[in-house]
Amino acid sequence: MTDTSHIRNFCIVAHIDHGKSTLADRLLEITHTVEGRSMRAQYLDKMDLERERGITIKAQAVRLLQDGYELNLIDTPGHVDFTYEVSRSLAACEGAILLVDAAQGLEAQTLANYHLARDAGLVIVPAVNKIDLPAAEPAQRAEELATLLDGDPQEILHVSAKTGQGVDELLAAIVERVPPPTGDPSAPLQALIFDSAYDPYRGVITYVRVQDGTLPGFARIRMFATGARSESEETGVMAPEATPVASLGPGEVGYLVTGLKDVHQAKVGDTITLDGKQGADEPLPGYREPKPMVWSGLFPSEGGDYSDLREALDKLKLSDSALVYEPETSRALGFGFRVGFLGLLHMDIVRERLEREFDLELISTAPNVEFHVVTGEDEITVHNPAEMPPGGYDRVDEPIVFATVITPSDHLGAVMELCQSRRGELVDMTYITPERVEVHYVLPLAEIVFDFFDQLKSRTRGFASLDYEPWGVKEANLVKVDVLLHGEPVDAFSSVVHREKAYEYGKRMVERLKELIPRQLFDVAIQAAIGSKVIARETVKAKRKDVLAKCYGGDITRKRKLLEEQKKGKARMRRVGRVDVPQEAFIAALRVDEGAKR
Amino acid sequence: MSAGLYVHVPFCLTRCGYCDFNAHAGLDELKPRYLRALMREASLVSPGWSGVGVGSVFLGGGTPTTIEPPDLRALLEHLRASFDVRPDAEVTIEANPDTVDEARLTGLRASGFGRLSMGAQSFDAGVLTALERVHSPDSVRSAFAAARAAGNGNVNLDLIYGAHGETLASWERTLRETIELGPEHVSAYALTIEPATPLGRKVAAGMVPAPDPDLQADMFEAACVSLAGAGYVHYEVSNWAKPGFECLHNLGYWERRPYVGLGAGAHSFRDGTRWWNLRPPEQYMAAVEAGEAPIGGRETLEPADARFEEMFLRLRTFRGVPSGAVDLDRATPLLQAGFLERNNGSLVPTERGLLVLNELVLALTAS
Repeated sequence: MTDTSHIRNFCIVAHIDHGKSTLADRLLEITHTVEGRSMRAQYLDKMDLERERGITIKAQAVRLLQDGYELNLIDTPGHVDFTYEVSRSLAACEGAILLVDAAQGLEAQTLANYHLARDAGLVIVPAVNKIDLPAAEPAQRAEELATLLDGDPQEILHVSAKTGQGVDELLAAIVERVPPPTGDPSAPLQALIFDSAYDPYRGVITYVRVQDGTLPGFARIRMFATGARSESEETGVMAPEATPVASLGPGEVGYLVTGLKDVHQAKVGDTITLDGKQGADEPLPGYREPKPMVWSGLFPSEGGDYSDLREALDKLKLSDSALVYEPETSRALGFGFRVGFLGLLHMDIVRERLEREFDLELISTAPNVEFHVVTGEDEITVHNPAEMPPGGYDRVDEPIVFATVITPSDHLGAVMELCQSRRGELVDMTYITPERVEVHYVLPLAEIVFDFFDQLKSRTRGFASLDYEPWGVKEANLVKVDVLLHGEPVDAFSSVVHREKAYEYGKRMVERLKELIPRQLFDVAIQAAIGSKVIARETVKAKRKDVLAKCYGGDITRKRKLLEEQKKGKARMRRVGRVDVPQEAFIAALRVDEGAKR
Repeated sequence: MSAGLYVHVPFCLTRCGYCDFNAHAGLDELKPRYLRALMREASLVSPGWSGVGVGSVFLGGGTPTTIEPPDLRALLEHLRASFDVRPDAEVTIEANPDTVDEARLTGLRASGFGRLSMGAQSFDAGVLTALERVHSPDSVRSAFAAARAAGNGNVNLDLIYGAHGETLASWERTLRETIELGPEHVSAYALTIEPATPLGRKVAAGMVPAPDPDLQADMFEAACVSLAGAGYVHYEVSNWAKPGFECLHNLGYWERRPYVGLGAGAHSFRDGTRWWNLRPPEQYMAAVEAGEAPIGGRETLEPADARFEEMFLRLRTFRGVPSGAVDLDRATPLLQAGFLERNNGSLVPTERGLLVLNELVLALTAS
């Protein structure tokens, strides 16, 4: 157990690509936590998926030893889907390095996380990174940061995480400026879970920050929020590999092998205490249930894989406490699941893990947000357009978000135009510097989950950045648009959209489907409709010729094989009423335009 | 039940761009050896067919008329001596207009080739060029006149529609000219792009557009109308004949009657088994010369595959399939939509149905 005066807990707040992982690598190296030989890029981003995408999904803590000080670097997720996880990581720290790319400057996510850090009472250590780049403008960035922090440009450190320049000074500044944690080793135990993971051999492992009291390696423990109890098996620190210790004292950060088998029993933000009388009476503040923001149907692309999909989701759930799902039956796609995600990135990651780790082929329906539908006295929550009351309703509320966009000022017009077209309401705007503006909008979440980010990037040549947080719900003029093939509604294509966007959605769907549905023996009408009112229509003209012109003695075997191939192709299609729809049509028609992620 | 006898002659004057048959140009020096191989193969395999009456003989290719009439006569005589060819058997020979004249045709007719099938393809010179045919419309006309002068009263003209550049109007002119000549039989094929042909490669490379299926459908319908108007009966997807002049040999394929094939790559079929000869002429000849059956492969169909094959072959003709052989739930919507009709206890495709026969077969047999 280290004396709290020699502990510093800190995190790095940075935008994607601004060098957080590289800085972490340098810190590991300079403090000799990892020796050069075993060093590899993005050391802390353990999962393969994370390394490939260049982002960090799961927070992790690593202990660095420097001049008798125990420096705990707590890694934070860098994506808007995981804001709550970020806030819990911040709650485990006393300080934060605010890291900004010397060429690109502040971005919205950095700013949002900076606000989170400041609100959590963290001491900010600002640093400009990538000063080795030719395009770097460290002085200007320092000026910008100083304005933001209301501080002195002199206090802003200049580093190159790549070359290591200025990193020693940064370490010194952490020791100097970040206050040590406080806490009483003999007080009742309160340990904050800021991350949890599932290990197939050891069960649920939580990453914790001890606030008060002492966390022994073996103890009967209790989780406040979930009420789960267990015998813990081991405690330790990541240095950076797991290293068991006898106990963790106040202010210390490490891991705990909980003895639990299900991550849903040890949720991020929950408080661990000792079971029984010596336990704490109160949890630490700030716990929140993970709340899915985006929903989508997931279906096996070949019939019969439903049980495989269920098994895969059950397994994935063990290591993803934010994942929720319920069985769903689609007339067009058969048996599957309606799955709730924290956001589009989370949706993508889950899908990719299902396909990659469980070898499944999936069709996912268009993502939608959760609606509250009021009909007379009844209020229902709808996760699926198919659940919209068919007989109409009195009111629909949709979730809204508070969005922060940071953009070069010459693209401000384009940003505002985009936000207005997405039903945004301007809250305010501030010039961070004469060249960079921070704009706040309240926007429907539904408008963001599609291609908003993509549009934002393309309209600002990639310079604008976005962050958002939930902002409650608001009544909206929403309608359900159905897509009908030959008169049969195809549930997988239904969507709840704003009345003004209904025509656009309907038109886009029927046009896409016209390209995707092969000609059949009869004209196939493709219609988009609100209730019984058709708002868009296309026709796939009947196929007129499909015959083998010649078939004599020497041709028969080959022609039979051709027909058998054609028959197999048909068997792979989904039948909707009388219409054969290829799998690819579902995938392609429902594809959210690329880049709606991040 | 009588069998068909097919003899493959793989020689051509030139190769046409669309053709993926087993045909070769420039192998003329092989002809005498190939003819000897054919005769020897007939002697080798005919014992297996003893007691099976042969109701039709068909010399196809390639271009059988690249072989001299006396040789063809000797070949046919040998076939008659080897197999139980019925005296009234239909005997067809395929011809290229540039390889026949009145004298040759007279000789062939005297030798017993009673039916002549000629590759006219089109009466539009532009279309013939697009097909890489070397003959001209005039040579079709003169070859046809020569056939008549030789006394041949059973002539087929082969036509192809849908080549690049051919319009509906041009195709209708070809149909009119064909009808004016008045052959007993017309085969009209929608041009099919086969990947392993010069034309197939050009289409794949984007140098020539693929045929437009809707235009080909219009052309098919035009053929149905004009030929019916001229007294031809549409009895198979691509075949029309004056009453009584249907090609018995080809009907045998679609009705799954047995057939024996001689020559390089020729197929045979009997009792649910199909087998085929080695395709390269050189390999084929070498095997026969060694006294071996020149077989390249064989297949025996599972009952379900045999039923599927029977269905798609029989549906090609206006004899159709017995109603009892089809699941009525599957057939009903096709009957209602006018793709099928009932005829004497059989289900037969309408002309509209013939055009989408693949779809009909799949709809009737989908598992």
